Amino acid sequence: MSRRRQVGTRRTTVACATLGCAALALAACGDGDAESGDDTIEIGISLPLTGDFSEPGEGVRRGYELWAEMVNEEGGLLGRRVELNILDDQSNADRVVADYEALISQDEVDLVFGPFSSRLVLASARVVDEYGMLFVEPAGASEEIFEAGYDNLFYAAPAVADDHYNYLFDYIMEMPEEERPDSVAYASMDDPLAQGTAYGLKDKLEEAGIETVADEVYPPNTTEFSGIAAQLAEADADLLVGGTQYQDAVNLIVAVQQLDYQPRMAAFSTAPTLPEFSEALGDDVEGILAPTGYSAAADYPTNAEFVERIAERYDGRIPSEDEANAFTTGQVVQAAVEAVGCAEQGECQQKLIDWLHENTVDTVVGPLSWDEAGRPDSAHFIQQHVDGEPEIVLPEDQATADFIDVKPEW
Amino acid sequence: MSGGLFLQSLILGVLLGGLYALMAAGLTLYFGVMRVVMIAHAAFLVLAGYLAWFFTTRTGLDPILSLAVTVPAFFVLGVGIRRLLITRLKPATMTMMSVLLTFALALVIEGLLGFTFTGVQRRIRTGYSSANFEIFGAQVAVVKLIAFVLAVVALGSLWFVLKKTSLGQALRATIQHREAAELVGIDTDKVAGYGFGIGLATAAVGGTALALDATIYPSLHWHWIGPMMAIIVVGGLGSIPGAAMAAMALGIIHAFLQVPLGATWAQTVFYVALFGTLMVRPQGFFGGRLAQRF
Repeated sequence: MSRRRQVGTRRTTVACATLGCAALALAACGDGDAESGDDTIEIGISLPLTGDFSEPGEGVRRGYELWAEMVNEEGGLLGRRVELNILDDQSNADRVVADYEALISQDEVDLVFGPFSSRLVLASARVVDEYGMLFVEPAGASEEIFEAGYDNLFYAAPAVADDHYNYLFDYIMEMPEEERPDSVAYASMDDPLAQGTAYGLKDKLEEAGIETVADEVYPPNTTEFSGIAAQLAEADADLLVGGTQYQDAVNLIVAVQQLDYQPRMAAFSTAPTLPEFSEALGDDVEGILAPTGYSAAADYPTNAEFVERIAERYDGRIPSEDEANAFTTGQVVQAAVEAVGCAEQGECQQKLIDWLHENTVDTVVGPLSWDEAGRPDSAHFIQQHVDGEPEIVLPEDQATADFIDVKPEW
Repeated sequence: MSGGLFLQSLILGVLLGGLYALMAAGLTLYFGVMRVVMIAHAAFLVLAGYLAWFFTTRTGLDPILSLAVTVPAFFVLGVGIRRLLITRLKPATMTMMSVLLTFALALVIEGLLGFTFTGVQRRIRTGYSSANFEIFGAQVAVVKLIAFVLAVVALGSLWFVLKKTSLGQALRATIQHREAAELVGIDTDKVAGYGFGIGLATAAVGGTALALDATIYPSLHWHWIGPMMAIIVVGGLGSIPGAAMAAMALGIIHAFLQVPLGATWAQTVFYVALFGTLMVRPQGFFGGRLAQRF
């Protein structure tokens, strides 16, 4: 019953054919069957292309593939062509472990990039660590990952899950007392990233004396949310916080609407940063808050080109956090490889790890540097849907629209 | 638990119970008519959901209208599957081998859905997706009520066919005693084929009702097959009224257990009920022994 789908891409061949690229790359095209010889750098990746995380998983794939395409256009990494070897782990934590095991020991890839979501990063980090390989990952923000103490792991985004809502927390604390929400309800997927974001805010708000009136946790495969919605409606909190991925946020919001619960503020992780979110919910997204590690409007070097290329390659698409963090992963590894001058298994990996611990890398999500355990030390933007568009509302100096204090009814 | 939450949970439980009843009805019918355990039933539910979604995104019409096409198509498909696949199994090992056969069928459907529509979660958007009305202070979601009404109509039609038509009489006779039915001149082979077709036709309605109010994705059927199997065992294998009552009871219990236990533990109610039934009353709680059903 092997349901694994090999989706490894030979992207360069396509890029060469369509873009008619330079002599160097043409030479690489010529010898066709080069697998992972001296003239290529093979990068092993396992992604959730089907199952619970297929939506964001595809986004991460787009980011990785664009990065590889752009690197190859510039003549490759250290003059070697980059090839991605992507496996589908079906959002399954057992499978992701087997995938990285196979990529490193059988396929003997030169580098690995991380999978999507903390749950899968947590499972795969141990394997990658055992082989002593550099592990830059685009979506493992939960505290558990960093507490495990892997020195080879780096999170390629601005902030860890617990800190995602920091700007929102500061904003709430600065509100006049009578406008400040005085009760909060939490509904969170039993998933380290989703729960980490919600509980990071919960810990801070509770410490500040804002009451928690409901705290629901549901398994990742849940599609029926009416029971949870009934309890949220009963609690009738001023602020609703959803520790969500994608489909759960959409189903939860519809279930809450059906019970006519109208919170004054509502914040959900991940889902609102995806363009599919407003397609699924239409006008009802107005005023919904979300932490986001990425803004297409942000003025960081390389960001404008990244936005333009994603739109070109994917039908006018505006990059989401998933594409951006995947692209960032590529940029981080690229910076280390170019600085150290090697990319293969063995001693080289430790050199790459050491270099990243000591340096700052410029990326599309801003300059990144990390602590011992791989926690990035910046903060997340707060996004809000304003007039149907996702806009950055916090911090105020980067804002593209004004914060809507009282969410319109959904 | 407050009075408001009690009433709200009861309403949700009843509405969901109706949907579960419809989704499980076909499953128990296959077993009754042919002793076939149809693992692929949930996959056909998801397939019907996808067809409804596809129909709505392409035409802009209400997903319920897709039933005009999917119900007859699923009936024909059911007759065909039985004729071409199920009848090839040896009668002596029918029940066991049908698990393997229909498991394969489920994988094929899941694979084809993933191939055709990708793994992206889909949701049908209708004008009434989030509409609701109030009754004694509790909210009733219009879309859930529609799904419930679909279930009542479909199960009512099934009851009518089984009780009031000559085909139904022949079906019941085949379920009760195949050899005896043949002796009185019933073409049990043909009747069983129609039974399978009717079972699959209920999947078309059930899948559409399911997709009205939840996201669908190709592997969703694994999530449903377990609870549905539990429902038909608790209800008594082969008994449609039993399945309906078990579905209603478990739907309501599930809704109430979510309040104290949370969503994670509440879903175990189906399996606890399954184990409990097998230990205490293996023939099921409703419907009596197989030979005396309907």
